[in-house]
Amino acid sequence: MIYIITALDAEARALIDHYHLTRDFTLPYTLYKNERMVLLVSGMGKTNALMAVSALLGWRIPNPADCLINIGVCGAPDAYPIGEALLIHQIFEGDRRYYPDILYPHSLRESSIKCVDGVQSVLDEYPVDMESSAMFQASARFFKLHQMAFVKIVSDHFTPETVTKERVIELIRSNLHNVDKVCAAVEKVSLSDPLFDQTEQEEIGRLKSHFTKAQASALDDALSYFRLKYPQKRLPSYPDIPDSKRERSQLLEALIKTLTH
Amino acid sequence: MKPSSKHLLTRLFSHLYIERSILDHPKTHKIRAKFSESQVIVIDHYKEVFNRSSQSFAAQSNSKKLILARKEGKFLHEGSQYSDGFEHEQFFYASSVMGCLYDCDYCYLQGLYPSANTVLFINLEDAFEQLRPYLGKDTLVATSYDTDTLAIESLTHQTREWLEFAAEYEQLHLEIRTKSANINALKSITPNSRVTLAWTLSPQEIIDRYEHTTPSLEKRLNAVIEAIALGWKVRLCIDPVIYTENFDILYPTLIDRIFSLIDPKAIEHLTLGSFRMSQNHLRALKKLRRSDVAFYPYAVSHDMATYPESIETYILEQLGIKADEYLPQERIRTWQRQ
Repeated sequence: MIYIITALDAEARALIDHYHLTRDFTLPYTLYKNERMVLLVSGMGKTNALMAVSALLGWRIPNPADCLINIGVCGAPDAYPIGEALLIHQIFEGDRRYYPDILYPHSLRESSIKCVDGVQSVLDEYPVDMESSAMFQASARFFKLHQMAFVKIVSDHFTPETVTKERVIELIRSNLHNVDKVCAAVEKVSLSDPLFDQTEQEEIGRLKSHFTKAQASALDDALSYFRLKYPQKRLPSYPDIPDSKRERSQLLEALIKTLTH
Repeated sequence: MKPSSKHLLTRLFSHLYIERSILDHPKTHKIRAKFSESQVIVIDHYKEVFNRSSQSFAAQSNSKKLILARKEGKFLHEGSQYSDGFEHEQFFYASSVMGCLYDCDYCYLQGLYPSANTVLFINLEDAFEQLRPYLGKDTLVATSYDTDTLAIESLTHQTREWLEFAAEYEQLHLEIRTKSANINALKSITPNSRVTLAWTLSPQEIIDRYEHTTPSLEKRLNAVIEAIALGWKVRLCIDPVIYTENFDILYPTLIDRIFSLIDPKAIEHLTLGSFRMSQNHLRALKKLRRSDVAFYPYAVSHDMATYPESIETYILEQLGIKADEYLPQERIRTWQRQ
């Protein structure tokens, strides 16, 4: 699942159309979904972002293969052309710094960004936005650093009065190909094959229930050893579990020996 | 567990994180020139990046970043109980780089560090200052403990700096442990009899399975041959031995292969040791779920995980018998738990 977060409805509009997302009313936030994505509109500013992202991730706790992409517009110095999509590698907030991990190749310009408290009309040496640091903080509780990406599209050169709703929709729409690529890259780098499929996990759970915690942990290790060493092999079938504690211990010992031989 | 996205690998050191205070250091300029295509991100302190929470060591291993920093505090640490001090009066290891270019499944760095990225401390001169007061006594310094310095020599030149420093101090002995085949880095340096180049060798099957991104056995052996020809003192280390179902073939064959190419008289020692690791580091390795090495049913005693005594003894006996065919006992060293 890809979690897409925008601050504004206008930032979400083109994404909703592009990914054919439908409205979901589960949370008291503007939420859209399809089978692959969930999109949340957090509202402007750090507090809104922190609360909305926390609510979303608390409601649907991400699994290890999920990722989160923050997409939005930002003000930036003249050196950044209007309409350019930036991939953020450093977020400043006062003295604090946050660093998403960019572990995939891409063709976007990378940049630092300063997360500020209000709409900024004063020139700055960095691009600025109003939500990224809060989104990072809330997300880092749920995602690894390489499973988060922050894509910011330059909307103005510190002239926020020029940024209209229609303009924001158009800026995002004209960068959908970049959003597609970042989503695909972050999604792929986040993927990891679980050691055991669902059926195996259920069988392992049943088997472990016959043993003490320490024994179950030793069995877990032996099963992981077997799977990592022989990824093509099926797990051995499990024997009947004897009633006697002593016989169960002997069985476990034999099982571990078989798996780690 | 390894991410299934190996085709997405970015180039090595695609990002350089550089402490603000060393932006104008000459070494920083040289490294930036070598990685002119890399993103440069200015940071205040390396720990901002290296010590972040929520990093994935496994994912980062496929796309390592370089962090340039100035080390504050100790470069030198007492030699570890897991290593051989070769009876020198004092035994230290130097920590001038954190993290390794190579990616070995059995490496304790995965348990020691929160990040797979590499931190390069550019103020090696401070390590020399810290070491000088000890050099009135016979002292061994291992320069390549928490990294493989020779593997990144073209970037850091730290091996050269260590060798130049060692040339000035008669009581200083260096051990430079490596899996690198980068012998060219040593060709313009006069060999020093107090410096030992120690190559870790493994059967090619073990290299393929567990020592990712390292040079092949043949490349390492060729580097050893060249080092000997250049006049360097060389130690060979079959350590750690990973016990596998075909151990009886793989490792004796390795010893035969080594000595079919290398005159046994030309090496200082052959070191043999089976896999061992502190329990804490092993726990961290298990969490990564990357390799079967982490999940073997080791015996744990005094916080150290080793193969069960019978297997450890078998490993060392078998390899000892094979090594005896080529070397006298006094030049075969083994690591075994006390």
